[in-house]
Amino acid sequence: MRNAFLLALLALSPVLHGQARPLPIAVSVFNTSTAVPYTRFLTTPVHPGVQVGTEFDHRVRECSRLFQSVYLNYFYHKHLAQGIGIGSELGYEHRVWRGLVAEARFGLGFTHTFTTAVEYTFSNGRYERKGDRGNARLTPSLSLDLAYYLRRDDRNAPKVFLRYQSWVEYPYSPDFIPVMAHINLHLGVRFTIQRKGSDA
Amino acid sequence: MHRKILLLACALVLGSCRKGEDMPATFYDCQYSHTDSSAANPEGGAYQAVLDDMVSSGVVGVTMSVYHAGTGMWTGAAGMADLHNGVPMKACNRSRMGSTVKTFTATAVMMLAEDGLIDLDDRIASYLSGDVIDRIENADRATIRQLLQHSSGIYNYIQSTAFQTASLNDLVREWGPYDLLAYAYGKDAYFEPGTDVRYSNTGYIMLGMLIEQVTGKPFHQVFAERIFQPLGLGMTRFAASDPVPDGIVRGYVDLYSNLQVIESTYFSGWDHYTADGGLISNPYDMSVFLRALMNGELINAASLAEMLTWRTESAPDPEFFPIAYGLGIFKIETPQGTAYMHSGDAIGYYANMLHFPDDGTTVVYAVNSNYGKIDAFVSTREAMERILAGTR
Repeated sequence: MRNAFLLALLALSPVLHGQARPLPIAVSVFNTSTAVPYTRFLTTPVHPGVQVGTEFDHRVRECSRLFQSVYLNYFYHKHLAQGIGIGSELGYEHRVWRGLVAEARFGLGFTHTFTTAVEYTFSNGRYERKGDRGNARLTPSLSLDLAYYLRRDDRNAPKVFLRYQSWVEYPYSPDFIPVMAHINLHLGVRFTIQRKGSDA
Repeated sequence: MHRKILLLACALVLGSCRKGEDMPATFYDCQYSHTDSSAANPEGGAYQAVLDDMVSSGVVGVTMSVYHAGTGMWTGAAGMADLHNGVPMKACNRSRMGSTVKTFTATAVMMLAEDGLIDLDDRIASYLSGDVIDRIENADRATIRQLLQHSSGIYNYIQSTAFQTASLNDLVREWGPYDLLAYAYGKDAYFEPGTDVRYSNTGYIMLGMLIEQVTGKPFHQVFAERIFQPLGLGMTRFAASDPVPDGIVRGYVDLYSNLQVIESTYFSGWDHYTADGGLISNPYDMSVFLRALMNGELINAASLAEMLTWRTESAPDPEFFPIAYGLGIFKIETPQGTAYMHSGDAIGYYANMLHFPDDGTTVVYAVNSNYGKIDAFVSTREAMERILAGTR
């Protein structure tokens, strides 16, 4: 699975290096929960996460945009697990009214989770405390965003967004719980920074 | 800069690990005594081998009682009660017994019927009202007997994916009866009342409410007054008054099916306040209870005969023994003979009690670990056959 992680990084590197100026950055904080998607909106208790990513456009039209995102994230689900993830999404943005846009994103990520409690491993007929090497999962996702550009005619303007994201962890617990569904509610901002160097 | 970010990320991941509680070994001392003839039991070595085999397979800890009319009671243990503090399991240690409480609930209901306070063929709607009846399909027509026998057709809230993910999302939440029943609201019933049998925790929550409605007391107080205390079950209690009492062994779950367990002692909050779970006991006390029930010491012969009137399910689980449903108890055919039984799960705990009516042999075992790969060593048909082969 470590090889898969390296392959994912390699696959994403042209995206990162090939990005034209200016560089959009999206930062969000989110609440994650194990839940059946679309049955709940805001869940408690809050299990916090943070995500940082960027985007590049595939196609831009007057009222719409097809784009690719790449992201890194971290979440802490109290009593259960914490995870570090990397992934990419194919997104479609549609201008609804003035600076208001709606988005849909299909994503595929890789997440490595670690238990948040001491883990005991069965070895040589007894349980011993050993270092937690974590568990690797694929995290396909579907996100629906409502966002607002602060300057309505400028696609590089700062944008605030609310994202309702569902993702599943697979494999979760082989032969026991094959898939675990999550709802993530993000609140974030997308802004652009000017890159000083020349394009790769 | 990159190194600082990496160090920060590592500190975040490594520093957020929840440690176990420090407990002295005396925390697990047992506060009861009985005449223990286990050491002199000629079969003791064979019984202990069963427990040792379970632990060497991946069970964290196990306690067991085996009663034979000829050799009396044997109790034993293997493995660990507490991994963090390195405390070995003792035979007397108390553990969560999960759904085995349903046999206690059924016994209490049978007592109320003997008292003339209810009739088993009364509709539950004659005693309960509101959302419990109005929003749960079949609840308006189901009888007390059908709830006891799982023949009401009422949806089992534990089967709800929404409930399962919600309980995982808040592992230390404590759930009241209405919180749990809400997951059965609006759900289709499995079948018309009385036409089949299918396990339903929802029905047993309603039976707990029935006991409270009829007696005016918390159902677990009725258990204590009419079952625990008369039988002298000193290590038995219901979770509601103290969900994690002193001396309870730590629970562990193999959540990711890799025999890497984490502690779950505080994770069974849906199992604390309702009559479908929540029992805390040890195999000795459970054996005393089951034999007293079967010997007619708790309810009369007519009531016991009603409890032991069986219905079979139309769609048995092909991976388990075919089950015949009585009132709060099941009948299975094992290679060792016919057994009356009930098992129970909580998060990190499993228990099973079996009584063989042909000779009165009673086997009870409790483990402080479950889910994932561990279930194959404690609760599957193959596991039960292996355990029973060594005890009978």
